[in-house]
Amino acid sequence: MVEGKKKLIGITMGDPAGIGSEIAVKALENNKFYEECIPLVVGDRVAIEDAIGFTNSKLKVNVVKKPAEAMDKKGTINVLDMNMLSPGDWTYGQVGKLPGKAAVSYIEKAIELAMNDELAAVVTGPIHKRSINMAGCPHAGHTEIFAENTGCKDYAMMLADDSLRVVHVSTHVPLRVACDRVKKDRVGAVIKLTYDAMKKLGISEPRIAVAGLNPHAGEESLFGEEDTKEIAPAIEEAVLQGMMVEGPIAPDTVFAKAVGGQYDAVVVMYHDQGHIPMKTLGFKLDNKTGKWNAVSGVNVTLGLPIIRTSVDHGTAFGKAGKGTANSESMEEAIEMAIQMSKN
Amino acid sequence: MKPILGILLGEATGIGPEIIAKMCYYNKLSPYCRPILLGDARVLQMGKEIAGVDFSVKIVECAAQASWGEELPMIDLKNLDPAEIKLGEVNESSGRITGGQLTTAMKLCQRGEIAGFMYAPLNKEALQRGGYDFKDEHKIFTHYLETTGLYGEMNMLNDLWTSRVTSHIPLKDVAGNISIDKVVGAIELAHDTLSRAGFNKPRIAVSAINPHGGEGGLCGREELDLIGPAVKEAQDKSIAVTGPHPSDTIFLNAFNGQYDAVVTMYHDQGQIAMKLKGFQYGVTVAAGQPYPITTPCHGTAFDIVGKGIANIDATEQAVKIAAKMAKTNNVK
Repeated sequence: MVEGKKKLIGITMGDPAGIGSEIAVKALENNKFYEECIPLVVGDRVAIEDAIGFTNSKLKVNVVKKPAEAMDKKGTINVLDMNMLSPGDWTYGQVGKLPGKAAVSYIEKAIELAMNDELAAVVTGPIHKRSINMAGCPHAGHTEIFAENTGCKDYAMMLADDSLRVVHVSTHVPLRVACDRVKKDRVGAVIKLTYDAMKKLGISEPRIAVAGLNPHAGEESLFGEEDTKEIAPAIEEAVLQGMMVEGPIAPDTVFAKAVGGQYDAVVVMYHDQGHIPMKTLGFKLDNKTGKWNAVSGVNVTLGLPIIRTSVDHGTAFGKAGKGTANSESMEEAIEMAIQMSKN
Repeated sequence: MKPILGILLGEATGIGPEIIAKMCYYNKLSPYCRPILLGDARVLQMGKEIAGVDFSVKIVECAAQASWGEELPMIDLKNLDPAEIKLGEVNESSGRITGGQLTTAMKLCQRGEIAGFMYAPLNKEALQRGGYDFKDEHKIFTHYLETTGLYGEMNMLNDLWTSRVTSHIPLKDVAGNISIDKVVGAIELAHDTLSRAGFNKPRIAVSAINPHGGEGGLCGREELDLIGPAVKEAQDKSIAVTGPHPSDTIFLNAFNGQYDAVVTMYHDQGQIAMKLKGFQYGVTVAAGQPYPITTPCHGTAFDIVGKGIANIDATEQAVKIAAKMAKTNNVK
């Protein structure tokens, strides 16, 4: 890709029966993205046109055959039409084999284009696990599809919002297994992935905290040995390599410190250790309803040969097709992809 | 009539004395209870000086002599000269004296002189060095009060209560320490404690242990084999309980007021969310004991002791809850 030129950012449309098409349209109504990149939706024209209809959007669709044809023009939504669907092929809010197959095809196409350097980054819209499984894709989600299609073995999930970034040593495994995954080499690898990601986000000297595994980070091995035997040596090694890394820090205090600005990111040992603080902090009071909503941040897969960011919510079948979906997480994911593709 | 509560100065080398002095001076005790201060009067004097407040107390021998007018009554244990201790340090004799405060308060409860008590922060290490060789204060209460049945720690923050099935054990041992009986026990303890705190049919949510609640067995089986059946068993006992709920969103609904209590499976599951939500204001309740016993969640705060800046909000909450529980207390 030519230096200085606006980067092409691919946005996969996600499951057509979910809110993916709607949040892509709503996000691209925001002109600011066109200042910094050329967005290109990888999806189906008919689904995007439907979303434009029910959201009363003024966006004009520009169907392209390859990314290079995408227009750098505000008010335009570039769509690489995979032509998987005809009107009536999907029902909002319902799982289905065809929508699942379409969703997988968007992802695979976007990965191929990014690997080919035709896209600078891929932002993924939400997919439904059951639909992709019905379509014969055996994976649990995007991360596994990206790993397989890019031949990547050492990757990690980062969740990020305004106040906190967490990177997971393990994710979708039972808690018993998660404890076994806490090994020096893996912890060290995730620290390095975190360090590199912070650099990509433009932080010149990243400060990284590493959470302990056990209560009070093991309290001198009184409550478990992983903190002293696996985590601490990985931290020592990273420090010797010149990274600013601290820990293991008691899991129940490390996040308050990070939110307070002491660290740029926290390496966490298991799924809920990272997800509990993210979702707790993501709560925002909806003044209309007086209820707290979980406004998700961005999900980034670190370690891939390509940049991939994602919304951190699901297909929201209950809201799909109604025009009431919130595009905040999609906008944050696009913003993050732009940031990461700059450095 | 407001219940009579013991108010204990706590570990003298910590922030307890200055906190209790502020509580008295700013009238944060009498709105909830008829307080009787318990500790050494010289330590309270030290607390007043640190806090920069002044007031006088009326020394009494027992609750029968107490009256609640201008001056608050205090039982002076006359056992610790502040000149002999150093603030912010673990001290053996101070630990022994703190333990003595607890046993005295328990005796007063058993004699019916006080309905329960609130203690300012303790230091576990000092207590242990001072001869109270128990793993924590809940074991001390259980020993001296000869408590039978389930007991344990519950925490309360912004009207949300939490308890945990396992606590200070390695995370890899958590799954092996979960059983149907233990989960049912934790649910019942939460139910009983909240009922005593004035909740009519408290709504309890039980947390899962695995990501996404185990995804129907795809990501761990404890939800299907243990936690689910335990919730069912508790429901059959007419407890308003639901779960297992994924632990990353259970607090969203809890903070929304959907539940009164959350039962978690391990230490950090609840602690991470609660500490981010302002744990410094949290209260610890000694659940399952025959008398209401509460304390602020925060510790002795050796890093800020003696500066007069310690916050009293959690202590006020602790007094409030003990008083509420005393009103509905049924001695077991």
